[in-house]
Order: sequence, then structure tokens, then C-alpha cells
Amino acid sequence: MSEEFFTRRLDNGMVLLAQRMGHVSSAAMTLLVPAGAAHDAAGADGAASVAAEWCFRGAGDRDTRQLNDALDALGCQRGETVRSEHVRFSSAQLGRNLHDVLALYADVLRRPRLSDATFEPCRNAVMQDLASLEDEPARKCNLLLREQFYPWPLGRCPYGHADALKALTPEAVREHVARGFSPSGAILAVAGNVDWDGLCAAAEAAFGDFAADAPPPVQPEPARRGVRHIAKDSAQQHIALAHASVPLSDERYYAARTAQTVLSGGMGSRLFAEVREKRGLVYHVSCRYNTLKDQAGLFTYAGTRPEVAQETFDVTVGELRRLREGITPDELARAKTQLKSSLVMQGESTGARARMLATDWYHLGRLRGLAEISDAIDAVTADDVLAYLDDYPAEDFTVLVIGPQDIETGATSA
Amino acid sequence: MDFKHTTLDNGLTIVAEVNPDAASMAAGFFVRTGSRDETPEVAGVSHFLEHMVFKGTERRTALDVNREFDEMGADYNAGTSYENTIFYGAVLPEFQQRLLDLLGDILRPSLRQEDFDVEKNVIQEEIALYEDQPVFRTYEKLMAAFFDGHPLGNEILGTTESIGALRREQMLEYFTRRYAPGNVTLVGVGDVDFGALVDQAQHICGDWSPAETQRDTPPAPGKTGRTILADERLVREHVGLMSPAPSHQDDERFAAMLLATVLGDETGSRLYYALVDPAIADEATTAYMPLDAAGAFVTFLAGDPQRADEALEITERELKRFADEGPTDPELTAAKHKLACQTTLSGELPMGRLAAVGSDWVYRGDYMPLSEHVERVYAVTGEQVRELAQRYDLTATCTLALGPREDL
Repeated sequence: MSEEFFTRRLDNGMVLLAQRMGHVSSAAMTLLVPAGAAHDAAGADGAASVAAEWCFRGAGDRDTRQLNDALDALGCQRGETVRSEHVRFSSAQLGRNLHDVLALYADVLRRPRLSDATFEPCRNAVMQDLASLEDEPARKCNLLLREQFYPWPLGRCPYGHADALKALTPEAVREHVARGFSPSGAILAVAGNVDWDGLCAAAEAAFGDFAADAPPPVQPEPARRGVRHIAKDSAQQHIALAHASVPLSDERYYAARTAQTVLSGGMGSRLFAEVREKRGLVYHVSCRYNTLKDQAGLFTYAGTRPEVAQETFDVTVGELRRLREGITPDELARAKTQLKSSLVMQGESTGARARMLATDWYHLGRLRGLAEISDAIDAVTADDVLAYLDDYPAEDFTVLVIGPQDIETGATSA
Repeated sequence: MDFKHTTLDNGLTIVAEVNPDAASMAAGFFVRTGSRDETPEVAGVSHFLEHMVFKGTERRTALDVNREFDEMGADYNAGTSYENTIFYGAVLPEFQQRLLDLLGDILRPSLRQEDFDVEKNVIQEEIALYEDQPVFRTYEKLMAAFFDGHPLGNEILGTTESIGALRREQMLEYFTRRYAPGNVTLVGVGDVDFGALVDQAQHICGDWSPAETQRDTPPAPGKTGRTILADERLVREHVGLMSPAPSHQDDERFAAMLLATVLGDETGSRLYYALVDPAIADEATTAYMPLDAAGAFVTFLAGDPQRADEALEITERELKRFADEGPTDPELTAAKHKLACQTTLSGELPMGRLAAVGSDWVYRGDYMPLSEHVERVYAVTGEQVRELAQRYDLTATCTLALGPREDL
């Protein structure tokens, strides 16, 4: 498969990335701006999420409805995700509509109206998102675990917390937008049916004269970590635990991903086989990898009946630790095939490709081709995985449990 | 893009949309069976059986099955709905034969007693998991209320009691009837080698014994009324409204999709502006759900319990207004663009096409290329949508609320 990558840095610092893909008619866009939840000012938790809503409530010469209708008329499938470092704007559409969509996003980013009248519904929407977590304990468990695990405020729950949201002012969110919606540190990535020269011209027209200072870097404090139990009368016991791993830019990254895939890559993986298939303790058990720029973790989750919560916890932790005793050649081969296949298959989706381009650039400052990743995966040996596990053993867990049952975590935490 | 199909002597149908430009291929067995095909004594058996299919065959243990999928790096899964059970995987084209060998083999599971007993726990676990997901509960209870007395009212997972009481022999009997080759379609999409696919299917599935399989499709007019399920543990009020809609077999399904998009798409729809934009509810969406000889429009609301009356009232008003006036031209045009784009995006992935090609065949014995699907969407007129909204009476709703409210 041939890959056609293009990169360019605009004078204002914004990075433009593209991959041309044959045989597709869509073009997907990912736009990262350095205004994520970690950038919420002290006491303004939730500002990023309100900002991501608010900037669509009228922008440039269009009011909310006109803006929405204009995006709809272009067939945009759009979404905003508030992540730690960035707010991610995503939009997929037919390639022929891409340039018009970019012009609309220039309004959203550079000329959002942010009027007092539309503030309240946006704040309310985020408060409702926060409230909805109470009815979805599994999601709540995973979100709050990140907050507990990462150095504060890198893992901050994007919805903030109720007190801060109540106290949030329009002015605080406007400041957040002014600081973070900046071309410096912004990445615009497009994949699919793309004409590079045309895209460059459209991006220049949309963002070329966009000038703003880079936002100040986040100064993280030490993580809180530890063990926490939130008592709740839920049907299931939700158990989530995290331990440290290497970020994407680390040379041990591929060894780390291989280890995680052996643990949780598919239904034949260790966790699924031992916790679900052999013992029937859970419906869902998984271990996911998450990376920020300089921090990363493996996040393990199991949802189980309260009466077997302790056993589930013990077996799960046992499997995480047992990995250090060695992995078989079969397991290694399987993990590699899984990692490579998913790479190719994800690569068929223009949206997934656009996200990967932006991620690569943010973490590595360059784009990885399929062959490079594939070779790097192939090169991982069992010894590499074990060496990684020596450096990052399954110890010092950060634990969050939601449910009726208290569980004994033993010496698993720092 | 090339469409091919054939039927084996025992009745198993094979269809494929071949796209040599794809980087992967996907294949799936579509079994025309689900909770609507169950009797009360075996409630939940379709879904439980879907789990048991992964538990091994004469040639493979459960661990072998999972391991082999992983060895191919397959993206795979299975799902049970009210009327279909599907088993599917996507792989790089070089693994087509191995994928077929595995998928075909597991469709004749051993159903060993010890596996059955362990898996029962997993099913009970899954029932508990959904207990903690109010959106799912609302949907399930709403289906049960709307289709009360009709097979489509059967709950997919069954209940803790029905699963607890289920015996292996009952499952085996159900399996023999429902997984007969005449009730199964093998679907391939992406970079698939059709000749090889047929040979492989003949080799693996050719000796499956035929059996008579039936499905009752009585008329499903749909109940109306309001049900309140109070659950003080919940924080938000979840409300679902259901009303009749065209079926999977009906040509009006394109107009029905557009109706749902104009009325209740996630952004830019009538309900969005009436409820989400002013933050009266944080979720308000309408979906069109085509079924076998039946169909439903379903609207979901979620939000602050204190404002649930207001949200429901506004929703009912919007349904009435839509039935009276239909869509405006700009609304309809935007909805067409959105649907066309959605269809195109999912159609660019073999996994996305698999569901479309499979359901076209299972429900209608028909194939429709992506381009024709998009054309049919664009061909719908505003008058057709308005007329549909009246004929199916959007206001004849069955409403169900789940949340802290005792009354509504």
C-alpha cells in the first residue's frame, strides 16, 4: 500500500498534515487545539468542555442555527472531544466539501460569538454530562481513575466538578478560548480524498492570518494515586486500576503495546481467558493503553458481581503480574499480528487515519508510515517485553472501585 | 465493485460484494434468529447460544477458537438482536481461508455441559452489566411495552430467572431448528475471493443438515400509553417514545430515515433545537428502526428529572407539528446530505458494508450498491416524508420513563 503524506507548517505555527488515500470519496479532518481540560484555569474546572460547546453557538456572521445548518448542508459528521492536552474537533465529509468545512471551522475557532445569552445552555449541557456519569458507573470509574492516576491536572475529568461548574463565569471561559484556541500548538490533519495544493490554499485562507500567542504550558503537580472506594448501590462492582507505562515517544513503546496486547488484545488474551473464559467472573475485562505526551499508563477495568469482586480483583492483578514470568512464542506472534492487522484495518477509515496523523505529529513531530510501524512491531522480542516489564512492573497500582463492596487491595498500592 | 451470490444444495446462501481495492475483507454468518423467535420457556436462549458458539467444536476448544481469531489479527465479534444473530470478522485478505474455516466450524458448536454452566455466569454478569445502563433498560422495557403481546416484545437477554432455569437440551433443540442452513446467509465484502469463498463454504458447511425453519410475523400495530418505572438510584430521567414505522421490506424506509434525521438527529434537528440547544434535556434523538414486517420510530430523552415533564411535553408537541407540517425543504436537503455522507463513510470500510449487504439480503433477498442507496435517499420528496408521518401517526406513542420520578 503506498502512502502519500504531506506536511507543512504555516507561519503562525499551525501544522498542516495530510494523507491522500485512493478509492475513497470522503475526507476526514482532525483539528487539535491546545485548550484541553488540563489547561482549565484553577477553579475553572470544566471550562474546556463548556468552550467546546459554546464555540458552536454562533460564529462569524452566523448565529447558532445558521452555523449548524451550514455544517449540516455540507453533510459533516462532526464531533468535539475534550482531551487532556487538546480539544479535538473532528469532521468527516465528502472530499469535495472539505474546503467549505474548513472555512466554517475558521469561524468556530477564530470568531466564535461566545455571547452571554448562549453561555447558560452550554454550562448546563456540561453539568448534565457530569450528572449522567452517576447513571453510568463504568464510565465514571474509568474517567475518575485517570484523574487519580496522572499528575494533576493532566488527567482531569473533562466535565470538571459540580461546584466549579456552578461558579464558572462566561469571562473565565472566554479567557480559556483566548488562551487555548491558538495556532501555535494547533495541528490540522486531513486524510482521504484530498488535493494537497488545494488544501494548502484553503488552510492558508482559513487560518493563515490567525495570530495568537502559544498558551502557557501546564505545570503538573504530583499525582494523588492510592486506593479509593466510592460506595454505590449499583448492580455491578466496577473495578479499575492503573499502573505506569511508557509514552508513545519512548523507544520501549512497541514492547509496551505488545505486553498490553498479550494481556488484552483479543478473546484469546490472558485477561479474557483467565478472568472471563475460565472462571466466568466477568462479562467485561480489559487493559487499555493510554498515552499523554510525557506520561502513560495501562488502565485495567473489570465489571463483576459484588460477591466475586475480591476474587476478580485478585485474579486480575495476578495476571498482570504473571506476565513478567514470560510470554510464549505463540503469544508474541499473535500479539504482533493483531497489532499489525488492526493498523491496516484502521487505516481504511479516513477518520481514524486523520486522528493517527495528528497523534503522531503531537507525540513524535513526524508521521510514521505503515512500514515503519510494522517493522518496529516485528522487531520486538520476548526479551524486549520482559525488559520493559522489569522497568514498568505491575506494581504501585492506582485503584478506584465503585460499587456496594469494599475490597482488599493488599500491598498493590504505593 | 461486483455482486455475486449462490446457494449450496443444503440451502445455505452465499452473497458477496467484491471490492479488490479494499485492504481487508470481512465475512459474516447471518443467522435469521433472535429473541422474537423464542418461546417464554427459553427466553434469552438466542443470545446465550451466541456466546456458546465461541465455546468450541469437535475440532476446537474454546481457547483454540479465541486464539485462532487472535492469530489472524481478526477484528471480530458477534451480536444478537431481536431478529438476527450474526458472527463476523474482518481480516487481511490473506487470512480469508482461515477465517472461513474458523467461522464455519464454530457455527456447529459442541455445546458441552461444563461450558454451558460456566457461560451461564457470564450471561448473568451481562444482565447485571446492563442493569447499570439505564439507556439500555429504557430501550428494552420500551420495546416490551410497545410490542406487548407480539414476539418483538421479547427481551434479548432473557431474565436472571429464565437463564438460570435454561437447560442445555433446550438450547440444543433451538439450535437444530434455528441454525439450519436454509436460515443462514454467509456474507463476504471487501477484497474477497468469491470462488474460494464458495469452495470453503461447501467444504465446511456443505454437510449441515437442512431443517424446516419458520418465523411468525403477525401484524404489529404497536401499543400506546405511558409507563413509569421509578428507580431512586438513578440521577437522570430517561424517557423513550415509540410509534409505528415502515418495515425493512418497505420501500418507504428511505423516507423514514429522512424523517428520523430531520426530527431527531443528534445535531441540527427539530428536537435538537427544541430541547438540547436550550439545555432542557441533554439528549434528544430519534431513530428509525426497521424490522422484519414491522418497524418503529424511537425517540430518546435524557436529562434533569425536574424538567422531564417539560421535555416530554415539548417532544410531543414537536411530533405533532412534524406530522402536521412535514419537513421544510432546507431541512430535508440537509438531512439528505447527512445520510449520504454517513452511508458513504461506513461504506468505505468492509466492516461497515458487511452489515448493509447482509441485511439487504436477509430481509429482502436483494442487493443494493452504495451508490444506489445514496440515490434513493436523494430521490425522496418532502411530500413523501410528510405523508409518511401522517399515515404512521407519529403521535400514537408508547412512552416509558425510567428514573427517579414516581410520576410524570
